[in-house]
Amino acid sequence: MKELFAGFATTFEPLNLLVVLAGSALGVFAGAMPGLSSTVGLALVLPITFGLDPIPALLMMISLYMGAQYGGSITAIAIGVPGSSPALATTFDGYPMSRRGEAGRALGISLFASVAGGAIGGLLLMAALGPLSRAALAFGPAEFFGLGVFGLSIVANLVGKDPIKGVVSAVLGLLFFVVGLDVLTGSPRLTFGVPRLMDGLGLVPLLIGFFAIAEAFEAVAGKNVERAPGGIEGKLPRPGELLRLWPAVLRGSAIGSVIGAIPGAGATIASIVAWNEERRVSKTPEAFGTGDARGIAAPEAANNACVGASMIPLLALGIPGSASAAVLLGGLMVQGINPGPLLLSEQSTLVHAMYAGFFVAVIAMLIVGLLGIPLWTRVVRLRRSILMPLVVGISLVGTYAIRGNPFDAWVALFFGIVGFAMLRRGYPLVPTVLGLILGPMIETNYRRALTLSSGSHTTFLESPISAVLLVLALASFLAPVIRRRVSLFRKESR
Amino acid sequence: MRAPRDSFRPMTNPVISVSSGLRPVLFEMALVIVALAAGGCGPGSGSDDDGGEAYPARAIEIVSWATPGGPSDLLARALAEVAPRYFDDHRVTVSTRQGGAGASAMQYLKGRAGDPHVLAVFTASGTVNMASGRIPFSPEDFTPILRIQLDPFLIAVKEDSPFRTLGDFFGAARARPGEVSISGFGAASAHFLGFARLRAEAGDPDVRWIAYEGSGDAVIAALGGHTDAVHTNYNIVREHLRAGSMRVLGVALPVAALGNTPTYAQQGFDAAPVHWRGVVAPPGLSEPLQADIRSRLERLLQDPEFKAYMEEAAMEYAVMGSSREFGAWLSAEVEASRALLARLDLIDD
Repeated sequence: MKELFAGFATTFEPLNLLVVLAGSALGVFAGAMPGLSSTVGLALVLPITFGLDPIPALLMMISLYMGAQYGGSITAIAIGVPGSSPALATTFDGYPMSRRGEAGRALGISLFASVAGGAIGGLLLMAALGPLSRAALAFGPAEFFGLGVFGLSIVANLVGKDPIKGVVSAVLGLLFFVVGLDVLTGSPRLTFGVPRLMDGLGLVPLLIGFFAIAEAFEAVAGKNVERAPGGIEGKLPRPGELLRLWPAVLRGSAIGSVIGAIPGAGATIASIVAWNEERRVSKTPEAFGTGDARGIAAPEAANNACVGASMIPLLALGIPGSASAAVLLGGLMVQGINPGPLLLSEQSTLVHAMYAGFFVAVIAMLIVGLLGIPLWTRVVRLRRSILMPLVVGISLVGTYAIRGNPFDAWVALFFGIVGFAMLRRGYPLVPTVLGLILGPMIETNYRRALTLSSGSHTTFLESPISAVLLVLALASFLAPVIRRRVSLFRKESR
Repeated sequence: MRAPRDSFRPMTNPVISVSSGLRPVLFEMALVIVALAAGGCGPGSGSDDDGGEAYPARAIEIVSWATPGGPSDLLARALAEVAPRYFDDHRVTVSTRQGGAGASAMQYLKGRAGDPHVLAVFTASGTVNMASGRIPFSPEDFTPILRIQLDPFLIAVKEDSPFRTLGDFFGAARARPGEVSISGFGAASAHFLGFARLRAEAGDPDVRWIAYEGSGDAVIAALGGHTDAVHTNYNIVREHLRAGSMRVLGVALPVAALGNTPTYAQQGFDAAPVHWRGVVAPPGLSEPLQADIRSRLERLLQDPEFKAYMEEAAMEYAVMGSSREFGAWLSAEVEASRALLARLDLIDD
């Protein structure tokens, strides 16, 4: 406890506060810019942190990472383009709400949920670093396979009116992920001899192609040009409404904390699972996807809770649980800090300053977020046919900047055309994105598990975690079908 | 707290921040807009404004194709940190060009043919990717300058593993074919080939190689008991060794920090697979220019700050007598890897 107070004292030094505010602002910006993400933002500030002492360096990186998770929701809500992949689920309800003219309300809910989720993730990190890191180790190939299949089963709730089209869309995503080097054999698949395709098509070009470029075509082609009704777009949510959202925030934070602590699972999966679970426990699941407040609160709490949770494998095991955590690890190592089982006992001051940093970062994010909302709500008022081409330009530059590779911009353009064709024919886009995200997790872990079990499929049922996840997935796949049958049956019997 | 490396303080030159701070991104953004508008594919071939001028005439760019924060990226940054002192106080920036398993960086280097102001960090993964045909380049496509460091491979297990030696590990694999597994980075990778060389000497028992996208994930698999061992480098498992949660069965070459841990040689193996990293330049550099760059880098390697980085990272110096020798060795490495890949049926011969 004394160490934690000392940690807070350190964090409140003027330089450190400044660094946290700067980190938050940069993070919100990087998160909100389609193409940039927390990972890219961290990689960009990494060289700046080399010149700082370990504590301010760490504080800057954490506040940036935290800010980016909220930042992603800004573009998701304001223009329907996830600023970074963890905000994908926020588009489901955030964008419809802002189209109704309630952008300020949506952004306020997202900020509130992000702040709460971030703080809960930080608390969890403090309270259960050791035990949770050991629990995370239970995730091996079979368990990751189960998690991936469970994640994909959410597609059943996202397919819209025509299930066949939803399935086609998901399969397309699975097909896209196959392009590139096969991790398990090192051989190229579907690369057609093009060396640049070796790394695969990539999630960022897909997100930009689908949500920025395809939507821009759509806007130019004549649809979606109408502006959201004006008047109340700057209005923030009432405190009473936020209070009523607590259960959604808590559930989202819990899901984010658990999934975030598993190395390799990630904030995108966590936020989609959180949205789906919130929908499942709701008495009015049909309201989800049309601008329901809970559909914003749950995924936003989840992706910010992931920040603290992803520190668990990083600090306790020295293994980054996400791409962003990997960059953070690099930054720590340059500072001469080596995360691992001994970190807490050997670098207690630093670790406690970091714990304190989580809460200060959350407050900085709240300030930066509140200052930004009036600005963002004005963006909503722009005509789509003007706004979207701008978004496309910025996104393409962002795609290029990530790896200094112009090829990625072409891939984004390709996805833009595919996405536009799909939109025109009524195919939902989100299942494709889910397929691309979860495909690698499902396939590589399926094959790893079978290599380890010499080909025996019972390995997936022998692991209790994997067995439970697979049963949940089956239930999730079948639930919509059963619900429809039941309601049909009721109508007939009436 | 930062005692071991107080001298390693990169902000002394403002350069790195320029290279990867926000400003260059904006600059690169401008660049890409121009490039896309022109229907081009990025910066064109090198400028011709420095003919006959003294070297270096302008800022030096060190290309890194690796993940930011990874060991080869850290090498690039450690070099850039002290490099201005040895390149007449010119700015030295690190640029990250990921993509195509190194192909993007190689392509960039080729496009800058004859330009001595671009250097790149090259590693064992590069030669293996050339051997497997994964990247359509060969050592002739660039100018070898010098090899810098060796990073020996090792095999580690969870602290409660029944294995104590490499003999135990391979013995179990012979007794129970297909039931012993080891995790490591990549398939047909430098890491896998390193392990395959060792396994061949043990009579090729059926050990299941479980490939992961990153070395960290491979360590997690072993720590969680999902695989029986992990094949990696010292730095990746250092903290687990210090904490006693993992043990090393054997290491390819002696690592000072590992004390008396038996090497592969001490356990009767001839193979000593290592990961290595060095520096290469674009193709088409004159002999005197090559010699100039090399002598500057040789002096840089003796810089106290750079030495401190090497010690902290537990890397061994591995500079070869001349650039020519390094080049010949590179070609031999590609050939040896190709032969091994063919023997393992990982490529068509």
